[in-house]
Amino acid sequence: MENKNFFNDEFMPKMNKIGKITGALGVLVAFVPALVLAVVFGILPKPAALLTAFIAGSTSFGVLWFVEPISYFSVLGPIGTYMAFLSGNISNMRVPCASMAQVSADVEPGSEKGTIIATLGMAVSIVINVSVLTVGIILGSSILSMLPETVTGALNYLLPALFGALLMQFGMSAKGHAALILVWAILINIALQLGLFGWLPGANNYLGILTSVFLSVAVAILTYKRANEA
Amino acid sequence: MSAMEIANSPIMWGACGLAVAVVLAQALIFAKNAYKAGEKVGLTKNQMNKAMKSSAITSIGPSVVILSGMLSLLITVGGPIAWMRLSMIGSVMFEALAAGIGTNVVGVTLGTDVLTEEALGMALWTMILCSIGWVIFATFSANRMDKIQNKISGGDTKKLIKISTGAVIGVFCAMGGQHLTKVYDFKAGAFNLNPNAVACLAGAVVMFIMVNISKKFPAIKEWNLTISILVAMMIAACI
Repeated sequence: MENKNFFNDEFMPKMNKIGKITGALGVLVAFVPALVLAVVFGILPKPAALLTAFIAGSTSFGVLWFVEPISYFSVLGPIGTYMAFLSGNISNMRVPCASMAQVSADVEPGSEKGTIIATLGMAVSIVINVSVLTVGIILGSSILSMLPETVTGALNYLLPALFGALLMQFGMSAKGHAALILVWAILINIALQLGLFGWLPGANNYLGILTSVFLSVAVAILTYKRANEA
Repeated sequence: MSAMEIANSPIMWGACGLAVAVVLAQALIFAKNAYKAGEKVGLTKNQMNKAMKSSAITSIGPSVVILSGMLSLLITVGGPIAWMRLSMIGSVMFEALAAGIGTNVVGVTLGTDVLTEEALGMALWTMILCSIGWVIFATFSANRMDKIQNKISGGDTKKLIKISTGAVIGVFCAMGGQHLTKVYDFKAGAFNLNPNAVACLAGAVVMFIMVNISKKFPAIKEWNLTISILVAMMIAACI
């Protein structure tokens, strides 16, 4: 019982507080470069032009501001949500790193141990991400020209390969469940390709992930209920 | 001073560095607290160190992809902004699009036309305004969503684990399914050897083999993912 109290009554409230303070701070400092541009260099976009761009941008991405945090919540948990959305690159980096960290520590997602391990995994991935980018920005575009063309070409296939491998890694532990969701994901993507959701702005960006996660969670809950009743 | 010189000026490096510093600071504060709490919830130091090592190995590949995205953004909006935007909030897919939307409004095509001061301002403001919604919503809804999830699970830890495990499978099925669907070209109405689909399928197949091999040789287990990705990339690049 002591563990429970520590985690839920002491640790999580403290983490929520840290998450909110650092998140709010992140929102403020994100604007600093734009303010420097305005104050130091006198460059400030015309409100009308900026509004046009904002409307164009938010019709493409606006839904994602809400759909992504909701879709990824059960994977990331509260701490992971603070970290992943401040640092970005969620599906292509934070989620894979958190999940692989949980696999190697042999803990379950959603458990107390899983939450701690996911936090550590995500923090490491943020530090590495920022370090690689910092080294890259210092060396500049010269490093890309150092790489042979075959390597830069193959880089395009890294993320699809990563997702295929992760799909197998996590699908193998629940084969029937994963097969069902994969069929669903493929059907949704076919429907998107055929333009069946053309009336839903930006649906390509989120419909697959949103419906797959919710269906998968629903199936998980039903299977759990049935196993408990039996 | 040209717009590009402004974009690469020391004060811009400082301003963007501040934003990157906040992202790093948040990660380090959370990691320190989590590491301390780890032993109290029954994790061993060995488990936590192994997890961090595994995440480090997993990070390398995606980091390089993000790096190559940053280098193309670097040419269009300058070093500091590219560096900050890919360290904070956004993603490789999002940033270039957002910057392009901003500059298009003032008639500048990123990467083709010369960057004007007006376009620089538009690109930066659009990238910030169009991405800040993610942080605001995520930051202020995280503990509310936690409460909702706890209500659904009814305080049943096992059920919560099933929900999270289900969500993980859902995410990777969605990501994999998106690439696998590309084997069929809907415009041409025929199957094609799309390299993304091939890479995804090959990644899955190699991973299946690696998981079975590593049952016999557990030492290679933490390299399963890296090996799967490298082999799958090579296969996709060869076709």
